[in-house]
Amino acid sequence: MKTVYWLQGGGCGGDTYSLLSSDFMDVSELFTTLDLKLLWHPSLCSIDPAAHERLLTDIASGTTPLDILMVEGSIIFGPAGTGMFDTFRGRAKKELCHTLASHARYVVAVGTCAAFGGFGAGHAIEATGLQFTKKKKGGALGREFVSGSGMPVINLAGCPCHHDVIAGALMAVASDVPLELDRFQRPLEWYNTMVHQGCTRNEYHEYRVEESDFGEMGCLFFHMGCAGPLVPGPCNKLLWNRHSSKPRAGVPCFGCTSPDFPKSNPFFHTPNIEGIPLELPKGVNRAHYMVYKGMAAEAAPERLKKRSAKV
Amino acid sequence: MSSETKKIDIPFNRVEGDLEVKVDVTDDTITDAWSCGTMYRGFEAMMTGRGPLDGLVITPRICGICSLTHLNAAAVALDRIAQVTLPDNAIRLRNVALMAETIQSDLRQAVLMYMADFTNHKAYQKHPLFKEAVARYQMLSGSSVVEVIRKTKRLIEIIAIIGGQWPHTSFMVPGGVTSIPYVPKLMQSRLIFNRFLEWYEKKVLGCTIARWQAVTTRKELAQWFEERPEHRDSEVGFFIRFAEKAGLDTYGRGNDHFLCFGNFPLPKDTAVTPRVPGTDQLTTPGFFRGTEYLALDAANIKEDITCSWFEQKPVVSHPFDSVTRPYASGNMGKPYSWVKAPRYDGLPAETGPLAEAVMDRVPLFLDLIRNTGATALVRQLARITRPARLLPDMGTWIDELLAHHADPFYTPVKTIPDGQGAGMIQAARGALGHWVTIENSKISNYQVITPTAWNGSPRDGQNQPGPWESALKGTPVKDPDNPVEAGHVIRSFDPCMVCAVHIVKNEK
Repeated sequence: MKTVYWLQGGGCGGDTYSLLSSDFMDVSELFTTLDLKLLWHPSLCSIDPAAHERLLTDIASGTTPLDILMVEGSIIFGPAGTGMFDTFRGRAKKELCHTLASHARYVVAVGTCAAFGGFGAGHAIEATGLQFTKKKKGGALGREFVSGSGMPVINLAGCPCHHDVIAGALMAVASDVPLELDRFQRPLEWYNTMVHQGCTRNEYHEYRVEESDFGEMGCLFFHMGCAGPLVPGPCNKLLWNRHSSKPRAGVPCFGCTSPDFPKSNPFFHTPNIEGIPLELPKGVNRAHYMVYKGMAAEAAPERLKKRSAKV
Repeated sequence: MSSETKKIDIPFNRVEGDLEVKVDVTDDTITDAWSCGTMYRGFEAMMTGRGPLDGLVITPRICGICSLTHLNAAAVALDRIAQVTLPDNAIRLRNVALMAETIQSDLRQAVLMYMADFTNHKAYQKHPLFKEAVARYQMLSGSSVVEVIRKTKRLIEIIAIIGGQWPHTSFMVPGGVTSIPYVPKLMQSRLIFNRFLEWYEKKVLGCTIARWQAVTTRKELAQWFEERPEHRDSEVGFFIRFAEKAGLDTYGRGNDHFLCFGNFPLPKDTAVTPRVPGTDQLTTPGFFRGTEYLALDAANIKEDITCSWFEQKPVVSHPFDSVTRPYASGNMGKPYSWVKAPRYDGLPAETGPLAEAVMDRVPLFLDLIRNTGATALVRQLARITRPARLLPDMGTWIDELLAHHADPFYTPVKTIPDGQGAGMIQAARGALGHWVTIENSKISNYQVITPTAWNGSPRDGQNQPGPWESALKGTPVKDPDNPVEAGHVIRSFDPCMVCAVHIVKNEK
């Protein structure tokens, strides 16, 4: 039996509530099938405060082994590096995070706040991720940190992280299946394709049929701020809650798997020069893209221009 | 008999965030309480200066369990600023999604968060229903826990069909919604809904919603109880049996001020009627002060920061005028919480499902309050039975979406003008307000008051305790190391400290 401790820092609980939508397996099956013992989860545990204190002491002394540390939410360092904006029984929670991480066989950052700092990075609360602050390596545990297994922090990016990714990563670490990571330590299993892939609006993107207001049918990339071609993630491949994704429902992808999420420019708007987005799909040459998109728009079939296709 | 007062600190789990309550205990009874929100997230520092629509993306991230209600409050504030009239279908779609979010929250709270305490070995091993409680509510494996995990995630599929994903979508935008769901997907939503309704009636109520609605007094509740074994074995039935034996009907009484902002605006063309005639939304806005119902006046809402770790001027202000900056480091002086103290007309106010039931004049709850007061049991019963009040109307709106599918879902809003607007709605936990000011096409001030800020507020300048600080007084604490009774009281308010962590204006 392996043990799991789920620590919540500066976050909204959204990753926990995402995980509750895990379908195959559901959360209950996941823990029983993998023979995992959930030592602590702030929402799903019912041990009393005194028992929790004992548990923390036992992990710190090595009496209770900790196989998997899941961290949700950013690590808060404010004000002035003290961490007192987020305390547990009067102590800064960042200290607790450090202690637990130093005893864990695997450390998993669940969601963009834990991975990269998310909403609080660069603001008054001085939030960091476990091993990154935005794109900069370091974070709460430091550049060189590796957990007991020899792995660095595994970053399950997303705001929230997709339920199947959390469940999948738990299955992998519980079974010691090696996960190959990208340069931001996101597992390639889920972060090697763009959110764009599988989007039902792809044909509109292909022929540059652009959406310029809500409720239209068209590609959201050119005007509405969609980051689907810019960031990796499984939203349109695995789908959310078995059914859909934001772009499929007319909501632009906000790029929440990226270390620099959220950016400072307004959402629902694509920064552009003369109608060409500043940021082009990952790896695309600007000159080629401009020629190709100009031709594609000319070649767009009527059925797309009339927006009669269902998306 | 000693009358020594012990001070104990109770950290809470199964709270969406961070809450520690300090209590004085004399003769095994709580005599005073201080509620401390221990985390500050400073959300609004990143809101000020951003684009007018950015609240639609950022504010859902305040809370992962009621992210749609923040989205809705943000969208309503912008609807007001843009002075746009929504198409009926947009209203229906928003309402259906919000109801799904509220209902999943009610059931998860009841079974995963509330009844989990009934498995507390140290407190309840001698309770005659302890073994059954463990069989039902054991973490991740109890029969009711597994069912609730499976059924609620199915209900949430309706939100994904409508808005793309849950949590954290942004499908509500000023003027309506971003997409038109397919007809077959709407039909699928109806089937998902039907299955959920069937399960809710069979397992949670143990009877049809119509039969439950016929229970209008405490006496009729006792009759319902005796009527069939299914009633006693249902989640509601078991909850009442366990809770009465544990004494939850004898403590946890708040200050009897109830606040609601009202929710679910009615489409122009709909078969759904308001709970109280004369309002243009399904559930009723208002303030109930002990005995009298008062119309809601948003000007009466003020925030007091006397006991909160924020810069102290001004001490009291309307949310449109709030100027707040974090001050002190968390552990010193008179202030003791990162949560502010919202007050209505100078009074602390309880908000949530029980407040809704009172405001909607639900006869059973008016009668229960007359008999026992608003105890932990009554408050929690209001939550687990609220879906019975929402589900029928939710079904009607899904049907109306199918019938009116060809009609518009969005009224174009080209730009958001400068101005001020408030989005005041009911989240699962109660009254939620967003107060937004747009200047020079940017957000210049964004103020949020969450339900947990109302319920879990610290004292104010008049030294009035917040609702659950009041409700803790008189609560028995049999074992200071295991103060499960205090948990029952606090949890009956369904605390969500993540969202209560105050959002602060960025002072430049």
